[in-house]
Amino acid sequence: MLAVTITIPDLVTFVLAAAIVLVAAIGVVVSRSPVHAALCLVATLFGIAVLFVEQNAEFLAAVQVIVYAGAIVVLFLFVIMLLGVDREEAIGKDPLRAQRPLGVLLGLLVLAEVLVLSRLSWPIGQPHVAGPVGGPSSNVADLARAVFTTYLLPFEITSALLLIATVGAVVLARRPPRSAGQPGAATGQPGRATGQPGGAIGQPGGATGRPALDGASQPDAADETGTVRSPEREGAPR
Amino acid sequence: MTPLLSLLVAQVPALRLPQVDYFALLPEIVMAGMAFVTLGARSLTRRGLPPAVWTLVTMATGLASGTLAVLLGRRVETHGAFAAVDGALAVDGFSVLFLVLVSAAVVLFALAAHPWIEREGEDGAELLSLGMLSASGAMFMAAANDLLVIFLGLEILSIALYVLAALNRRRAASGEAAIKYFVLGAFSSAIFLYGIALTYGATGSTNLARIGTYLAANVSTHGGLLLAGLALLLVGLGFKVAAVPFHTWTPDVYQGSPSPVTGFMAAVAKAGGFAALVRILFAAMPTLRLDWQPVLYALAVLSLVVGAILAVVQRDVKRMLAYSSISHAGFILVGVVAASAAGAASVGYYLLTYTFLIMGSFAVVTVVGGPADAHQDLEDYRGLARRQPLLALGFAILLVAQAGVPFTTGFLAKFYVLTAVIAQGGYVLAVIAMLAAVAVAFFYLRLVLVMYGWAGAGAGAGAGAVGPVGDADAAGAGEVVLPAGTTSLAGVGAGGGGEPDLAVLGGGGGLALATATSTGVEQAISGEGLVAAPEGLAAGDGDPVPFPDATKVVLALCVAFTVVFGIWPAPVVDFARHATLLFGLR
Amino acid sequence: MAQYLGIFVMLVLSTLFALVSWGMSRFAASQRPTAAKEAPFECGIVPAFEPVERFPVRFYLVAMIFIIFDIEVVFLYPWAVIFHQLGRFGLVEMLVFALAVVVAFAYLVSNGALEWGPAKRLRRVESPLVRTTASTVRKVPSSERAA
Repeated sequence: MLAVTITIPDLVTFVLAAAIVLVAAIGVVVSRSPVHAALCLVATLFGIAVLFVEQNAEFLAAVQVIVYAGAIVVLFLFVIMLLGVDREEAIGKDPLRAQRPLGVLLGLLVLAEVLVLSRLSWPIGQPHVAGPVGGPSSNVADLARAVFTTYLLPFEITSALLLIATVGAVVLARRPPRSAGQPGAATGQPGRATGQPGGAIGQPGGATGRPALDGASQPDAADETGTVRSPEREGAPR
Repeated sequence: MTPLLSLLVAQVPALRLPQVDYFALLPEIVMAGMAFVTLGARSLTRRGLPPAVWTLVTMATGLASGTLAVLLGRRVETHGAFAAVDGALAVDGFSVLFLVLVSAAVVLFALAAHPWIEREGEDGAELLSLGMLSASGAMFMAAANDLLVIFLGLEILSIALYVLAALNRRRAASGEAAIKYFVLGAFSSAIFLYGIALTYGATGSTNLARIGTYLAANVSTHGGLLLAGLALLLVGLGFKVAAVPFHTWTPDVYQGSPSPVTGFMAAVAKAGGFAALVRILFAAMPTLRLDWQPVLYALAVLSLVVGAILAVVQRDVKRMLAYSSISHAGFILVGVVAASAAGAASVGYYLLTYTFLIMGSFAVVTVVGGPADAHQDLEDYRGLARRQPLLALGFAILLVAQAGVPFTTGFLAKFYVLTAVIAQGGYVLAVIAMLAAVAVAFFYLRLVLVMYGWAGAGAGAGAGAVGPVGDADAAGAGEVVLPAGTTSLAGVGAGGGGEPDLAVLGGGGGLALATATSTGVEQAISGEGLVAAPEGLAAGDGDPVPFPDATKVVLALCVAFTVVFGIWPAPVVDFARHATLLFGLR
Repeated sequence: MAQYLGIFVMLVLSTLFALVSWGMSRFAASQRPTAAKEAPFECGIVPAFEPVERFPVRFYLVAMIFIIFDIEVVFLYPWAVIFHQLGRFGLVEMLVFALAVVVAFAYLVSNGALEWGPAKRLRRVESPLVRTTASTVRKVPSSERAA
């Protein structure tokens, strides 16, 4: 593995991509505007995609660009918009004074560790799982064979992860239920608190999510834009 | 077929399709599949079904999954351990134990969550199906024979728990808990993943059995990469099981999450995390024992000490249980440090008993907490014995069992862990663990005394054992007086069978089993003089606490398990001993 | 790596183009800013209120849903490449995988996560004063029109 000679174009590509990754990663951390940080993240992910290409992992590079740079950063931007773009992060003062120096120190330690590790000769077992890179079949086919045979189980249980993500997104984006008018209504004996007319606590089961999602149909949800959940407003009925 | 495609097909070697042993996968399939079915059914029913339907479905799922796991265990007993789905899953005694454990946790969770769902008007289908998905993640973690499967199980378990933690949308604390849990959990997952990458780089495989074979066959002189990978794996799992340097999220998350979810989180996340930890260390890296043993030793000592000290100063019952869970994690780590077959069995046994203890405890916390889980302070439990005698009695038994009082499973769990580590010569660790147990018992006993009104309890117990505790409590709210706690515990230990409250609790437990609703227990207790004096109650007469049927069932189940198998330990201990049958263990 | 040369050249060219156009507008154009020019404008009129600062949470939901289906599709690509080799086995495993996503989809639809826009709001208004083209025309009396 390590005996492979590195050609000049490879080296140039690597250095360029690594520089992009590093600079952009620092940009993510230090930029004041969250939008700039998100855009720096795109650059980081793009640099990583280039590194993937250089490692002959073309499919991963494409996925990196499509999913990460394309979709996930867009999601980040959505959330930033959701919370207000022009609000600058208060990164001036930390609640814990020692936090930042300690973080820098830890980072340097990890860097030193990585450098030390990279000097060691590494024990290497079998070099690849999916098949030799640049073998007779295409990169995607190699990957597919690994995913759909050897890693069949991980692949299938990924679907559960996707389902949880969906449910989580819906549950968390839903507006909090009204405490059914007065706190007393909800504090009663179990089994009686549900289904108050007018409250957002619908009949348990299917109907709960329905009024919660469409802010427009709520009687006092005049500002449709303010649908960020604010549990404090409801308060904990004592 | 286009020429290009036919060319491709001609060149590649024939595809070897994996052999899928569906029977070996069945417990997990049932658990995850029923979660899918529940969500699908909930989506398709327009008007929604009553919450009881979802509760019953979840309970049935847990029972079915547990039964299938037991059947699987039969097969393992006759045919030995084997790997399924191309080596991705290990089917052995260890995984069977955890499959049963997680299934039991799901049944208890459904029961404990039912009153909460009705009270808060939340969507039962979402909560319970997320619980089932989370449980399936823990099952995959426990049965995984591949680092990638462990990681995916970990993610399924954790992400579902993040959402569950946020489910109480009337409390800001719930959202805060979810955010904290999510950020730190995602961080630790990333660390774990990095550990997988380094381990793969060092050994050339993510398969635990293959890693074990490789490490057994090759001696690495420069094992830096592997050690770094191992360290990162330990950190990632340390977060999940809340071992001490990585425990900071625990109190806030336990406090903020909905109470039944907290119990489930404590039981299942710990089970999954420890199962993965034991499997990675025992099955894949036994050759590196000298490297990971000291690390775990340190983690165990820190968890024991910090958990015990901080639990004692808590006023919030859920925070207290959080720190006590850290202390329990320390105990379980002691079993891992033993690094022996007995150690693995003791870890399994401890987690199994802990599941019942903690699920029952949080079922009580759920009903005492009241709407939006508001009442969590120690003061809210004052005089609980008069308001709900059976509830208080059940809670007291579970707390005393957590403290490790004899004739409960809690005691046996600690006993087996300590035996395992002493057999390996870990006397110092055993002594530290025992001292920590004594310290943390102080809080359990204080909570019990508060429930029964401490003034009366001091008089009723008579022996000087409990007196100091009462004094310490009276002296200053939240002041740690460790010597007082220590002496009181020493008193309890020395008292042995003659200690009145032990006998009463044991007898009361039996009665609670027999007649879950009768008032006979109450009278039996008052006859022994354990019910508080009237002046103790007059001060702390709080809100009436409901005692729903589902909570009765879950409490009866947990207390029954704790007491019955505490007195007659053979079946569970034998079951746990099968956990030593680890696939790929040399 | 040679095959990526085109992409690299394209990247360099596009970067150059962006830099050159930005630089041209910066240095070649005459700049005389006034207060009116600097103000944000809406088709030439003075804005009546500040633009909406926050997006509804539903945008986030849609983005999240997009990512979930995006990831599913990512798995479909390699599957399609070796579909012929996997045969029926592959079909079944992908069906199982897709089933989970279908459940997620059903859940989303039943929760109204994909319901958008004014159609819903029109349906919700159930007062007698529904304004349609027909009712509006009929409700205006001719006497008022004369006045």
